[in-house]
Amino acid sequence: MTELERALAQLDVDWPATPSFAYRRPQRRRWPAVAVAAVLALAVAFAVPPARGAILRFFHLGGETVERVHSLPRAQDRTLRQSLGAPITHEQARQLLTRPFALRGVQVYRSGSAVSALLSGGVLFSELYTGGGPVAIKKFIVGATGVRSVELDRATPAYWFADRHVYIPPTLPARYAGSTLVWERFGITYRLEGRGLTLERAIALARPLR
Amino acid sequence: MEERGLVSHAQRGDEHAFAALVRPHLEMSYRVAYVITGSAAEAEDAAQDALLKAWRALGRFRAGEPFRPWLLRIVANEARNRRRSAGRRLRLALRAAAEPVAADDHDSRALIEALNELPEDAQAVLAYRYLLGLSEQETAVVLGVALGTVKSRTSRALERLRELYD
Repeated sequence: MTELERALAQLDVDWPATPSFAYRRPQRRRWPAVAVAAVLALAVAFAVPPARGAILRFFHLGGETVERVHSLPRAQDRTLRQSLGAPITHEQARQLLTRPFALRGVQVYRSGSAVSALLSGGVLFSELYTGGGPVAIKKFIVGATGVRSVELDRATPAYWFADRHVYIPPTLPARYAGSTLVWERFGITYRLEGRGLTLERAIALARPLR
Repeated sequence: MEERGLVSHAQRGDEHAFAALVRPHLEMSYRVAYVITGSAAEAEDAAQDALLKAWRALGRFRAGEPFRPWLLRIVANEARNRRRSAGRRLRLALRAAAEPVAADDHDSRALIEALNELPEDAQAVLAYRYLLGLSEQETAVVLGVALGTVKSRTSRALERLRELYD
């Protein structure tokens, strides 16, 4: 190696920082129409200024679409119990989700293609089957007010919504939601929500569920 | 787990294995894309899309072959496609990592300036070979040219760089 080659090899170049990349498992089935119709939407509070309702940016995580807006759209104040949907059996839940609901021994409810249960401490746990969508690898969005990317494990990206936001569940009207952890695995979008829910508790609850 | 095992698991649909397989190559993938596109944002998108394509194409990856050149080929193709479809080429502008504090640093800065004055092909081959430390084989894969072309292109690029630097 010549002196010039050595100098080149030792150059300390200011490369742009390598971004984080997140992975999603590829889906093997086609989107059922019902799943498309049941895509959730979250409008997340972001800054305050003008252009009320304007979408600043959006991104997807599993079956959820998250939009950042200047101000929250109008929504209802409903309790989590009122947000459960209609009671169903675990067998019906299994058919909706293509696999058993993560928790046994709890009453499960259906809202669209989402299956939910109310956990102790007033935490709403929901699963939404979104399998069959296109394979996707999405980047994390960092620095967003009130939204934080976290990792349940190396291959499971999740988003933590610390602030009050508007949640539009399948088949139910938009409502205000409290702190929420959302993650996606194996074609299922998982969601834990609770007023006063902390990130630490949400992660502790999520780990055995993922 | 060894690369071979990770490939085998990932080919059977294990997302953890795929993540573990590509993780050591993310930085290199991103930088290769950056050399091609000259843009951090384009490089990020190209690398992401390339990872997606790699996942889809993993079934065609031949067991026992080195994974990195295979992945970098996909990344380079994706980055070139993006550059082509954008219809414009951002000139890669390399910069020194820190402000010069010593005589050697000034030399580094001059060398980087000389690199930035090279024609694209020459700049790219030297970036791959010496700044990113790719082998000649890997450089050939990334550039989509024969190994002999990498050797001759490197030689000519070094000559040109020496003229500019001296």
